[in-house]
Amino acid sequence: MNICKNCGVELEEGLEKCPLCGRSAGNGEEHLYESASHPSDIILIHKKEKQKYLWELAGIITFSGIVVCTIVDLLLKKGLSWSLYSDVSFLAAWIILTLIMYTFRRSHIFVPGLIITILATLFSMDLFIPGPDWFFPVGFPLTIVVFFSAGIAVILYKKAHFRGFNIIGATFLLLAGTGILTELILDEFIHGSPDLQWSLIAAVSLLPFSLIFLFYHYRLKKGNRLDSFFHI
Amino acid sequence: MGEPVHTKSFQEKGWLKLDNAAKLFPAIMSDSLTTVFRITASLKEPVKYTAIRKAVEITAKRFPYFSVSLGSGLFWHFLEFNDQLPRIQAEEDIPCTAFAAGRKNEALYRVIIKKNRISVEFIHILTDGGGALEYLKSLLYTYLTLSGTRINSPGEILLPESPVSPDEMEDGYKKFFRRLPPPSKMVKAWHLPFRLNKKPALRIIRADIPAGDIRMIARKLNVSVTEYIVSVYLLSLHEIFISSQRNTGRKIRKVLRVEVPVNMRNKFLTRTMRNFSLYVLPEIDLRLGNYTFEEILRSVHHQLQISADVKQISRFLSSNVSYEKLLIIRILPLFIKKMAIAAIYRSLASKRWTGIVTNLGMVNLPAEMGDAVDSFEIIPPPPNSKVKVSCGLVSFNDKLRVCFCNITQSNDLERRIFKHLTDAGIHVKILNN
Repeated sequence: MNICKNCGVELEEGLEKCPLCGRSAGNGEEHLYESASHPSDIILIHKKEKQKYLWELAGIITFSGIVVCTIVDLLLKKGLSWSLYSDVSFLAAWIILTLIMYTFRRSHIFVPGLIITILATLFSMDLFIPGPDWFFPVGFPLTIVVFFSAGIAVILYKKAHFRGFNIIGATFLLLAGTGILTELILDEFIHGSPDLQWSLIAAVSLLPFSLIFLFYHYRLKKGNRLDSFFHI
Repeated sequence: MGEPVHTKSFQEKGWLKLDNAAKLFPAIMSDSLTTVFRITASLKEPVKYTAIRKAVEITAKRFPYFSVSLGSGLFWHFLEFNDQLPRIQAEEDIPCTAFAAGRKNEALYRVIIKKNRISVEFIHILTDGGGALEYLKSLLYTYLTLSGTRINSPGEILLPESPVSPDEMEDGYKKFFRRLPPPSKMVKAWHLPFRLNKKPALRIIRADIPAGDIRMIARKLNVSVTEYIVSVYLLSLHEIFISSQRNTGRKIRKVLRVEVPVNMRNKFLTRTMRNFSLYVLPEIDLRLGNYTFEEILRSVHHQLQISADVKQISRFLSSNVSYEKLLIIRILPLFIKKMAIAAIYRSLASKRWTGIVTNLGMVNLPAEMGDAVDSFEIIPPPPNSKVKVSCGLVSFNDKLRVCFCNITQSNDLERRIFKHLTDAGIHVKILNN
């Protein structure tokens, strides 16, 4: 009698591998079975199918939007003007959606992909908008600062053993730092020299809150976990 | 084996309305609350893959109303004929996993094979335990016949060559609906205080009990087996309630209520294979004081006798069907209906009972088939996060299989129930999963 060692079912002579699990009937050697052999496989397949349909629908909407805007612009203005901004925005939104849907869990692809998309969008806008170039002095450094701060926040959150008020305190400090760097970049572009004002006010306002949160968490050791404290 | 006769109307129409019970499930089902149940027949020999595959193909033609997928209309879901065979799949650690019900041409039932076990899993939208058991019996008949067993008198089993009656796909709820005064309103029940498991949450505990022993004890007490087990269930809940009150210091008294599904095919003359079950709700009201086992048993016996009466249970049927007949409900778009149903279920319906005991009863098979089958088992749909534990019972020959579905970190309820049974002199054998 030819019995599958994994499923325990009897296989008729001639069946080289078990149709249920895909394992070789004789020696139990594993072969991946191509179709869904377990009930929960179907749910995974169905989720991927739904994701694909959503992506295709988003693609249709994006490219329809680009075509419609371009044609309307061509008809009304006899050339490409405002449609360049909407076309680039549509395209960027679609690329970001694609990145979120297919690479969200692979941060080594998702994060660089997102940064490149945003930088490319800003660079294109800079090319289309008449006037002084703002991408290299403002757009590029601001994007890097925002991603750098967000990156530190994510790393802190992931590395923290206890996610309580320490996370809120650290986030406030990062916001203060991001504000100062933002004003420095803008001042350099507008006035040619740094003149810190609003970001300093924001920073000194955030600092005490941040210290209270950190003190509460580390000194009083009463820090609640964020998920339990804010659960609805 | 000959081709069955399909009813013209079903083939021409190509779709079916959901029955009254099925209308609830698409609104509430999820990856954890799957609304999927399993019935298993354990054979005495390993399952032959080729024979079971052929048997599934033949049996699917005998049950054309199960070859459907779930469609969405503007106002209601519907069942769309798709001519798809059910998937034959390997058993997983967790039973009753969700169906991709919204997937085009995806069957809403499947056949699961492992060693000597043939299981069928149905989404409750399609049918209830009664309908699924008839399908499994028919599948077993075909499988055993193909495997060389000669079955002389198949009895009431639906044979592959027998014609498909339109009565098998009728909506029993609608057929037997008549306007009656609604049942009295219920207060919310107490719920087990156990912490929920992390996903995947479902744990199964199975046990075999000699059916003769428990039947004899129940007979001595002048109650049925279901009444006896429900009473033991309520007693165990009662003990957990008192113990939790002692631990928390709370003094609020509540009602302990158990849902016991009733196969309406035994009450009304119908051959429907679709959902046709309702439930009775035996309870003990702890606001009136504590109870002894004898008091619980007496109360449960009388409650079940009265509430399972056709006239009484028809009030639930009338009340359930009345809602879907209201014009204001019928014209609501499906997505609003689903949100409303889900909200009502979460806030009211799921809190009505403390536990669930579903007894499929005794399975009768022709002698030749009975010789090839060792046992039957029913795994009820995974309980919701309020009820937390449900229990399925089915007996075959002298074996009563008890199966607990538990989504909590505690097995205190199962432990207490088995302890009460062994204290009563009933041998309980816990099975290795």
